[in-house]
Amino acid sequence: MEGAPLERSAFRFFKFKSVLPALPFLIIFSFFFIYPISKLIYVSFMSNENNFTFGNYQTAFTEPYSTGFINSIKIAFFSALITAFPGAIAAYFIETRGPSKVRRSLAMMGGVLANTGGVPLAFMFTAAIGMQGTLTKVLKYFGFDIYAGTFSLGTFTGILIVYLYFQLPLMIIVFSPAITSLRREWVEAARNLGASQLNYWLRVGLPLLFPSFIASFLLLFASGFSAYATANALTVGNVPLTPLQIGGLLDGNVSAAQLNLGKSLSVVMILISAIAVIPYLIIQRKAARWQR
Amino acid sequence: MTSKDLTLTNVSRRFGTVTALDNFNLHVGVGELVALLGPSGCGKTTALRIIAGLESLDSGKVAVGEKDISKVPAHKRNMGMVFQAYSLFPNLTVEENVAFGLQMRKVAKHSRLKRSQELLELVGLPSHAKRFTHQLSGGQQQRVALARALAFSPEILLLDEPLSALDAQVRVNLREEIRRLQISLGTTTVFVTHDQEEAMSISDRVGVMSNGVLEQIDTPDVLYNEPATAFVANFVGVMNRIPANLADGKVNIFGKNLVASKKGSETGKIVALLRPETILVKKSENQGNAKVLTRSFLGASSAIICQTHEGTIVQSLMASLNTGEFQPGTSVDLEVTVNEVMVANG
Amino acid sequence: MKKRLDLPLLTTLGALSFFVFVPMLSAFEYSIRTPLEGGYGLTHYKWAVDNEDFFHYILRSGWLSALTVLITLIILVPTVTWLHLSDSKLRPLIDALSLLPLVIPVVAFAVGAQISFPEFVQNTVLELPFLYFVLALPYAYRALDIGLNSIPLKTITEAARSTGASWVRTIISVIIPVIRGAVMATVALTFALSIGEYTLTVLLHWDTFPTWVTYVAQENILGAIAISMMSLVIPFVLLTSITLLTPDRSAQRRK
Repeated sequence: MEGAPLERSAFRFFKFKSVLPALPFLIIFSFFFIYPISKLIYVSFMSNENNFTFGNYQTAFTEPYSTGFINSIKIAFFSALITAFPGAIAAYFIETRGPSKVRRSLAMMGGVLANTGGVPLAFMFTAAIGMQGTLTKVLKYFGFDIYAGTFSLGTFTGILIVYLYFQLPLMIIVFSPAITSLRREWVEAARNLGASQLNYWLRVGLPLLFPSFIASFLLLFASGFSAYATANALTVGNVPLTPLQIGGLLDGNVSAAQLNLGKSLSVVMILISAIAVIPYLIIQRKAARWQR
Repeated sequence: MTSKDLTLTNVSRRFGTVTALDNFNLHVGVGELVALLGPSGCGKTTALRIIAGLESLDSGKVAVGEKDISKVPAHKRNMGMVFQAYSLFPNLTVEENVAFGLQMRKVAKHSRLKRSQELLELVGLPSHAKRFTHQLSGGQQQRVALARALAFSPEILLLDEPLSALDAQVRVNLREEIRRLQISLGTTTVFVTHDQEEAMSISDRVGVMSNGVLEQIDTPDVLYNEPATAFVANFVGVMNRIPANLADGKVNIFGKNLVASKKGSETGKIVALLRPETILVKKSENQGNAKVLTRSFLGASSAIICQTHEGTIVQSLMASLNTGEFQPGTSVDLEVTVNEVMVANG
Repeated sequence: MKKRLDLPLLTTLGALSFFVFVPMLSAFEYSIRTPLEGGYGLTHYKWAVDNEDFFHYILRSGWLSALTVLITLIILVPTVTWLHLSDSKLRPLIDALSLLPLVIPVVAFAVGAQISFPEFVQNTVLELPFLYFVLALPYAYRALDIGLNSIPLKTITEAARSTGASWVRTIISVIIPVIRGAVMATVALTFALSIGEYTLTVLLHWDTFPTWVTYVAQENILGAIAISMMSLVIPFVLLTSITLLTPDRSAQRRK
């Protein structure tokens, strides 16, 4: 494409209507994402004989799958609830008072813990607070035997504890931008207008942070709800969690009666996850108006 | 309601090794608008923040009327402040923003909303009460900020470069509006800016600052015509710096002997400070003493930039009439129209 | 600025360090126990590193991740640039699409992938980079979007084009260098996500470094713990030291 007139037409070609430049993305995204998810939804309504049915969904809400959902929601909710407040407060102090190097290294560490965790995290906790774990022994030495009751890493409580380890860094990462976007001018303007520290927080600071806090909580919920790797490594099928159940069905532990049960469970998971993630995305977008 | 005067006495403030304010003194009379003008880092913003109570002082005293307020926390001082930008609370509507100060002073809801409406009318935004701040333009936001700072009838109004983030046209309009409002309300005002035109155009008096010290504070006319120091002379308006020799209190510039108006320690090689309007350009038949570099037509007047044969760049400001002949390269004679000149060390 | 002990900050950092390092150090102590001889040693680490599978899988995970990064850049940079340049009606749609993977739990995605792709896709490990690309998309897309938002893209592009650069050249030698911060962030995010991906990989029955660890655990739990410690601590130390050594750009954080 040489020469001025061609050049201009090329530019127009690039500029208007045409969808051609987006095609590679759209094709790959459709094939590797839209298609599998659509097919998943479609197949979830298929019986073993390929007839339309709600049967897979009916089974999805009976035992042990209903307990799986309840447990998954519980573990997502509690792991988010326990870490949201400390995470938010930590984010506040780090962002407002931390020197830049501290802030950046913590963001990096948080990223590693929140994302690359998974299986290594499970093994790390086995070594720390497993039956023979170092921390277990140390605590026992001080007269605090965590294995005195029914505790074990492979229980609901055990998984919950390990989840906290990636949920807290995730909260700090997700919530920090909201803190950074609180402008110094707002505190100063409020002080100047006669507001005490408390008044500033009640009328300006907290109302501004609240939506982001809820959004972060929702994202933590989704993250805890979908987590598979850690729980899979810690348990041996004794704690019913939906992701583990789906994994089990996918690995062929499936009776002939429920060939497509894993698909309906997956679709229900998507719906529950969407209930958390979509409000998160909407709130983030709204908050972006003043987070400049 | 009534405005008071403001006095800063021997105020000092250091940040580590940097002295932001050094024995700073300032008095702003009742209803007066004083601008603090200076390059960035001169301490003008620190001074304003100390007045507002947003910055602590190391020593000295801040008083409003007779009352020493040096130890009064920011939120107990009755001062309205307008910040550079983005200071409106984004979670509140325009009217809630304006009413914020009254709310903090426990004024009943209906009267504070009424007052809020009054002020929005004053700043020309009566129909924007229910909007959120992100729906306003930059200029509108600063109007709201001004209304908010004035709503609770502060004793002092503080303006921290409130126009610096705005477009040129909006800037000029708004600064005139600020002045109009300030005069009609009679609020004692301190206005910090680095824009000399802004400071000169709307202030009763302008204080020029450098390195934490007030170099000179006076009316715009005096500052321009009788600068107390070389710094002020250079900072305010355009100033030609022409190297020359000082002998017996006299300086010879372009063949004319001028009296050095400041007899300091300077002697020998000095720099003469001359405003562009004191320099006349005349067409020369022969070599002349300079050549024209450029001529900029500014409307009623024209700026002619010349270079002397010694290499000094000199700017002249003349009525535009007949300046068309000063094309680049023209040989000209430069003349000085005044008899006194300020000198500085070379 | 004055150097004063900042109590709230120190408390926060102290509490966080406690939270992070107590389990980590405990696990480390556990991983250097040598039950046979008693006392301590790096036996398990040595066992792990001497295992020929160790480097085999690291290498495999490495090139799969590198491929993912490459695919992400090749597809995403031109697309996002084009979306910013044209006022295409597609932009809101693609903005929204790019966030969709956040909504779908990876387990559900894995189920969909398993039942959808034709044989020739399922039979090659090369399906993984494309799937990792989808998983990383919400983060990668946003990083690039922010990067392109922060520059006068139209002017820069027109300047490059007017000097005769082709589109490919404009993107490679002008746009990418200008938004290199965002590109680096995209590379880092995509690489980190791919190299640590477990769920999708294991459910589609592929073996990479993260899934190999679970396999090791069945025969040598101490070895698996040693490997886990390395895969947590090494990126931790590496990234933190990079952060501490690179120059501070915090001045640019706020305008």
